[in-house]
Amino acid sequence: MGVPARRKTRHGGLVAWAFALPALLVYFAFLVYPALSSLWFSFTDWDGLSAGYNVVGLGNYADMAADPVVRQAAVNNLIWAVVTVVVPVVAGLALAVVLNGTVRGKPFLRLIFYTPAVLPLVSVASIWGWLYNPQYGAINAALRAVGLDSLAQPWLGQDSTALGATMVAAIWLRVGFPMLLYLAALQSISPDLYEAATVDGAGKWQQFWHITMPGLRPAHYVVIALSVIDSFKVFDLIYAMTYGGPGTATQVMGTWMYFNVFQYNQAGYGTAIAVVITVVAIAVSIPYVRSQTKEHAV
Amino acid sequence: MTTLLVPDTAVSAEQPVAKKRRGGIGATVVMTLVALLWISPLVLLVITAVRPLADFISHGPLSWPGTFTLDNFTDAWNIGNFATTYRNSLILLILKVPLGVFVSAMLAYALAKLRIRFGAAIMYTVFLGLTIPIYITIVPVFVMARSAGVTDSLIGLIGPYLAFGIPFEVLVLQSFIRQIPDEIIEAARIDGAGAWRIFLTVVLPLSAPALVTVFILDAVATWNEFLFALILLNSDAHKTIPVGLLNFQGQFSNNNTGLAAGILIAVVPILVAYTFLQRWIVGGLTAGASKG
Amino acid sequence: MNDNELSRRRFLSLGGAAALAAGLAACTGTGSSDTGSTGGPGTGAKTLRLFTYEDNSTVDLLKAQVKAFDQKNGTTTTVDSLPGSGAAVYPDKLRTELLGGKGPDVWRIWGGQIGAPFVKAKQSMDLSAYYTKFGWDSKLSPAAIEGMTFGGVKGGVPFIGAGIGGWYSKAAFSKAGISAPPKTYGELEEVNAKLVAAGITPASLGGKYGWDIMRLFEYLLEVSAGPDLHDKLLTGAESWDRPEVVTAFTNFKKWQDQKWLPEGAVGLDPADVENWYVQGKAAYTMTGAWTEAQGIQAGGKKSDDFGVFQLPTDQTPARHSGFVEGYMVNAKSGNPDMAAALIDFLVQVDTIKALKITNAVVTGAEPDQATLPLSYEWAQGPGKQPFYTIQDQALPKKQADQYFAVQSDVLQGKTSPADAAKKMQDVIKAWDKD
Repeated sequence: MGVPARRKTRHGGLVAWAFALPALLVYFAFLVYPALSSLWFSFTDWDGLSAGYNVVGLGNYADMAADPVVRQAAVNNLIWAVVTVVVPVVAGLALAVVLNGTVRGKPFLRLIFYTPAVLPLVSVASIWGWLYNPQYGAINAALRAVGLDSLAQPWLGQDSTALGATMVAAIWLRVGFPMLLYLAALQSISPDLYEAATVDGAGKWQQFWHITMPGLRPAHYVVIALSVIDSFKVFDLIYAMTYGGPGTATQVMGTWMYFNVFQYNQAGYGTAIAVVITVVAIAVSIPYVRSQTKEHAV
Repeated sequence: MTTLLVPDTAVSAEQPVAKKRRGGIGATVVMTLVALLWISPLVLLVITAVRPLADFISHGPLSWPGTFTLDNFTDAWNIGNFATTYRNSLILLILKVPLGVFVSAMLAYALAKLRIRFGAAIMYTVFLGLTIPIYITIVPVFVMARSAGVTDSLIGLIGPYLAFGIPFEVLVLQSFIRQIPDEIIEAARIDGAGAWRIFLTVVLPLSAPALVTVFILDAVATWNEFLFALILLNSDAHKTIPVGLLNFQGQFSNNNTGLAAGILIAVVPILVAYTFLQRWIVGGLTAGASKG
Repeated sequence: MNDNELSRRRFLSLGGAAALAAGLAACTGTGSSDTGSTGGPGTGAKTLRLFTYEDNSTVDLLKAQVKAFDQKNGTTTTVDSLPGSGAAVYPDKLRTELLGGKGPDVWRIWGGQIGAPFVKAKQSMDLSAYYTKFGWDSKLSPAAIEGMTFGGVKGGVPFIGAGIGGWYSKAAFSKAGISAPPKTYGELEEVNAKLVAAGITPASLGGKYGWDIMRLFEYLLEVSAGPDLHDKLLTGAESWDRPEVVTAFTNFKKWQDQKWLPEGAVGLDPADVENWYVQGKAAYTMTGAWTEAQGIQAGGKKSDDFGVFQLPTDQTPARHSGFVEGYMVNAKSGNPDMAAALIDFLVQVDTIKALKITNAVVTGAEPDQATLPLSYEWAQGPGKQPFYTIQDQALPKKQADQYFAVQSDVLQGKTSPADAAKKMQDVIKAWDKD
């Protein structure tokens, strides 16, 4: 197996595998193997607690097609993905560029925008629950203070606003992640390029579009790919903030999977949902992997 | 090749004189305001942490405290069993994070520069790990830990923690390592360096910002990991910080003030570490290392 | 300090042993370090593990009692506790341990449909023989035993029974000119109207998890349907698509429309709103006797300034909502006799008193009148009345969540009371089929 590889380049082959093996071994033992051994249950009616179960073939997958909550969860996931990818990525990029520039107190500012990401989700859920409280919360109080009483809402207490309310909290939480990755990526763009551009009379905005953005291209790929996947498997923030409610208004695939596996004694069905989440997310990652392997070839 | 030599950007950015500095002040004011707004929800957490529980229960979270106290912090230290959980979380972090980042960097290097066979297949497999909901793996992981006799032990957590950290770290690192120009690696090879030496002396130093970033993100994830720790650990002597934070809950009511104090106790070290480490992302270290 | 050193040394040795065990296990396939707790049948040793959700304020009391048990019986019992409302994480962990073949010998669990899956999946043991042996039938309240009996199988031993009542602030009532708690449902509505007129939110309930706003609905259902029909509805013996249920949903909506509930109640966390009656933000709430210690007294207030009443149903018997908690025994426990003996020890009057349990279902263990006068008052009066199962335990979680979703739709005006009754019938019918 190593021979043809070695013929292509001097490296690769066994050496490459030696580098890859430690991580791959751990990864297969503790992640791929448990994941695959659970996969089987998606073809059964296992309740998640008994010793026995029946094989139901693709029955669980067929049931998903008829489950109204799955449909609702899929739509919610899509909305969630668009909003919580676009906003934090754009904001994180802006923050990274600004906080890599001439602003004063950069370490402190970088700390502030990253801090929410460090908090345990229990506290995030309580804090935002308090802020959103219709009668006493800070958000409605602020709206009433500026005369926008009509906009004051029971944010988490009605189907129409609950998902949006969780997304605001998600943006607050997540902006630090792209910011950090972009900050790291900005370090590989040579300042000489900016100097040369300044000499040529290019404005800041032009520099951003013609130097910064192309220079960040590899980072864009990885930030967006990771953010999209993260948004597809969102679970704990929604679970902690709304518990999927009111009713099922904020159920996403991740929470619905959890409810089925652990609370409804429908582990087989819940596992099928997990499989679908994974398959969709992998499908989304195809362009990314293609882009990476293609660049490699060039 | 020069594009990769990364001098301290802070220094170079301040060279173009007066005009830029003025823009800096405007941006500073705007950024400070945005930052204040951003941090404002946390005021609730801090206020809750410094008021007596009775005051919290009798007035609610959104009131101004009648009295202030720091007792919550000493109480929280005991209730949260922090003397033990701190040590356990720290041990995990020290054992797991550097090791995880290192083996991930090795795999990332193999994917990005060593033209490993089945590279695309490996990438997809790695994505699998990012996408799989962690919940469906806990029973098999528990069974594995039990048959290895490492339930209720920190050692038992290291395997799963490594495995669930690897996908993210590999994807980020391989993206950065890919950007290292092949000429640099080629030059090192002509100097007689083997793959291992190139990895240690060229690839790792040149990826320092990415390594530090990944290190921070992984450290935070490890520090806050809840599910595996919850499932695998039982005795108080082995619990980690997130599991210890459950001690502030009761069946019918929560010790909210103690919890707020406990959360501050839990996150402050990681924020301090972050403040320290973030300097290494942006310049300084890289410049020196890439010259060497 | 001594403690610290001890645990550090223990950690080091345990870490080493674990690494060794991991290495060995990698060679042999399975490890055998299951001592310390039950690994399955045949362990036989005098070691037990008790898994519970005691919080920080009570876990040490329990450990002390268990130690006393150990000394008497020569056993070694480990107590592991996972505090929290537990509705989520505690059962998750319990399940995983049971499936992984390393479950506790004895575990604490809620009754009704929360405990039921463990019996149905045969993870917990049929305790009928031990009921006879220890005479639990005569020591424990029959209604509570009913809550731990699943499909005729006595799968658990109850020790706590909690009833839901109306807990109110005397100041709020007198401010609105209300002299005494309501005796009929009509009077309760009048009370609400007076409170709203006086600018006070009447009932502080939140519905983030379905509960505790369901406590209002189940009460309204008891009012309109009466004990007999209410019970039949819960088991699916009668159709929900009927006038009594529509009336209950209509009244439910009325509570929201008349502002007898906080604004946006369905989205509020009960942990946040339950204490509003203590904080002066509302007049009363529907909750259990724990609120006296954990709400009133923990808030630095005096029990004298508050009161409790049974929510009036205008029905006979006058019932309230309630639920039980108890212990189960692992079907694979290596030492079931000792496990049952431990439970018997834990439900003794003396133990209950030592554990400071105020809502035990054990005859002779009432709350202390001096320290918890309202809990005592409740236990002596309404507490002796029969109860209907609180509705998140009366239905399996899936059906309960669908039930709550219907309630949420009604409150938001998305479903009419008549449609809600029809939808509920569909939910219950689908459950029958499962």
